Amino acid sequence: MGFVARLAVRDFRNYECGEVTPSSGLNLVVGRNGQGKTSLLEAVALVSTGRLLRGSRDTQAIRLGQPSGEVKAELGDQGTEVAVLIAHGQRKRVLLNGLALARASDILGRLPSVSFSTVDLRVVTGDPSDRRAFLDAELAQLWPAYLRHLSVYKRALEQRNALLKAAQIGYVPDEAFEAWEEALGQHGAGMRLSRREWVAAAAGPAQEAYQFLGGGETMGLDYVLADDGVEPERLAQGLRDARSVDVRRGATSVGPHRDDLAVTVDGRDARAYGSQGQQRTAVLALMAATMASVRETLGQPPVLLLDDVFSDLDGERRSRLTELALAAEGQVFLTATESSLAGPSVLSRAAVFRVQSGTVRAE
Amino acid sequence: MLFAKPLADLIAQLEKLPGVGAKSAQRLAYHVLRMPGDDVRRLAEALTRARESLRLCAVCQSFSEGEVCEICADPRRDPHTVCVVAEPRDVAALERINEYKGTYHVLHGLLSPMDGVGPENLKVRELVERLRADVQEVIVATNPTVEGDTTALYLAKLIHPLGVKVTRLAHGMPVGGELDYADSATLLSALEYRREI
Ligand SMILES: Nc1ncnc2c1ncn2[C@@H]1O[C@H](COP(=O)(O)OP(=O)(O)OP(=O)(O)O)[C@@H](O)[C@H]1O
Ligand SMILES: [Mg+2]
Ligand SMILES: [Zn+2]
Repeated sequence: MGFVARLAVRDFRNYECGEVTPSSGLNLVVGRNGQGKTSLLEAVALVSTGRLLRGSRDTQAIRLGQPSGEVKAELGDQGTEVAVLIAHGQRKRVLLNGLALARASDILGRLPSVSFSTVDLRVVTGDPSDRRAFLDAELAQLWPAYLRHLSVYKRALEQRNALLKAAQIGYVPDEAFEAWEEALGQHGAGMRLSRREWVAAAAGPAQEAYQFLGGGETMGLDYVLADDGVEPERLAQGLRDARSVDVRRGATSVGPHRDDLAVTVDGRDARAYGSQGQQRTAVLALMAATMASVRETLGQPPVLLLDDVFSDLDGERRSRLTELALAAEGQVFLTATESSLAGPSVLSRAAVFRVQSGTVRAE
Repeated sequence: MLFAKPLADLIAQLEKLPGVGAKSAQRLAYHVLRMPGDDVRRLAEALTRARESLRLCAVCQSFSEGEVCEICADPRRDPHTVCVVAEPRDVAALERINEYKGTYHVLHGLLSPMDGVGPENLKVRELVERLRADVQEVIVATNPTVEGDTTALYLAKLIHPLGVKVTRLAHGMPVGGELDYADSATLLSALEYRREI
């Protein structure tokens, strides 16, 4: 089982230098606002995925005024050390036992993780692009082949869009489009296949978790295709057919970058019709389903990063969420402004870390 | 004025070179100023001579002193096999292993609409022209990047109807590399292109 046995940070966010030895089970990180709780979870996310939590640029995590920052983690069972080095004006480097990996993303899968914070509400309340970003991040962690499809697809899409723009001002022969569309067909269909499979498998566990968390309604997950190109040939044909329309629009109208993940409560779109409580519960249920898929696919529970989840939940939901998190039997990092928010079931089992203006110590 | 005019001119010229930023251009310029006069003259001559005496080989489009380059003119090279590469330096790399006995074709780039590079900007027409003669196999040796792969695909589509066999350089595990440290993209392609032993 992968877990963080030791975590050391240097010039990372508001930490000058810090080190913790977390428990392999439940860890509660407490501290007042702005002291460094999220930053600590972010450090774990960074060694897990090679990336910061959703939305931050790498260099933003370097402590202000410093040239570089670093996070190091010893992984419990494997005797492995993962280090991530971020420096201004340099490429981010991820090292495994001291050896630099070719790409930061090559670290994915060593320490699988699932994170949830208030910003993740976007997965339900935000745009289709937020939901695609969520799917992409989760699937990349499960299947390197997915990441490969995704990165080739993105690049080939940029290239096709550039061709569309060129075709608006001059003549571009059909053959110039063909090879890009074939690449898009192959990798786009690969993405769609994985996304569809994943969503179909996650729907059941999500519904279960939704009800467990106290939602009386039924929750549904559905992968919504923007067009019928689920096989490479069909998708490439769809692109060919859309070519003249796409030239006019200057953008590609067909493919997985137009798909969506529909989250429904009692059959209705949770984004448009869900109450705030229903939306929040749906996102937590999605997180629980993600946890289950990691355990199933990778054969080990993910490290759970739950940032500030308690403040908006009532007592009953808090203890249900705690139960869900504990049932996964993996390492959990929970943050809260007051340890009392966590409740007795957490406090009796958790290793507690107190964070204060960039220092952290075990209690 | 920050630099004397001749120095500023030199820096401006050096900065135009690929991979040379403002800082290295200055460093190089000051280095040139400190070099013995003869060395500077030799450098200038070498630059002019290389530019003036080299042109594109009429057959393979690589740089050549004569109308046709040494490789294309060599009767021991097999003209029925043509290895397509993106850049002249790729020819040098393949020549170093001293194993390949066929000929080359240099595209001078890869397809990349983002950079304004389409088939008409590459030596594609010249390649197709060559295939009218007795070529049996085209080995596409572009890099395994998105652009390299797509260019290979484009060429394959173009060449297949001409009845010429098209192969692609294999890519997979680096020899002597360790599985545990291989990047996933490399492992994936090694798996995809595995072969029976
Ligand atoms: N690159 C940086 N350099 C220095 N300080 C930073 C950097 N990035 C963020 N900070 C600061 O670090 C502090 C801790 O941020 P963090 O998000 O970890 O707090 P938190 O404990 O999670 O607070 P909250 O309870 O409000 O969520 C904040 O004051 C933040 O402004
Ligand atoms: Mg926080
Ligand atoms: Zn030649």
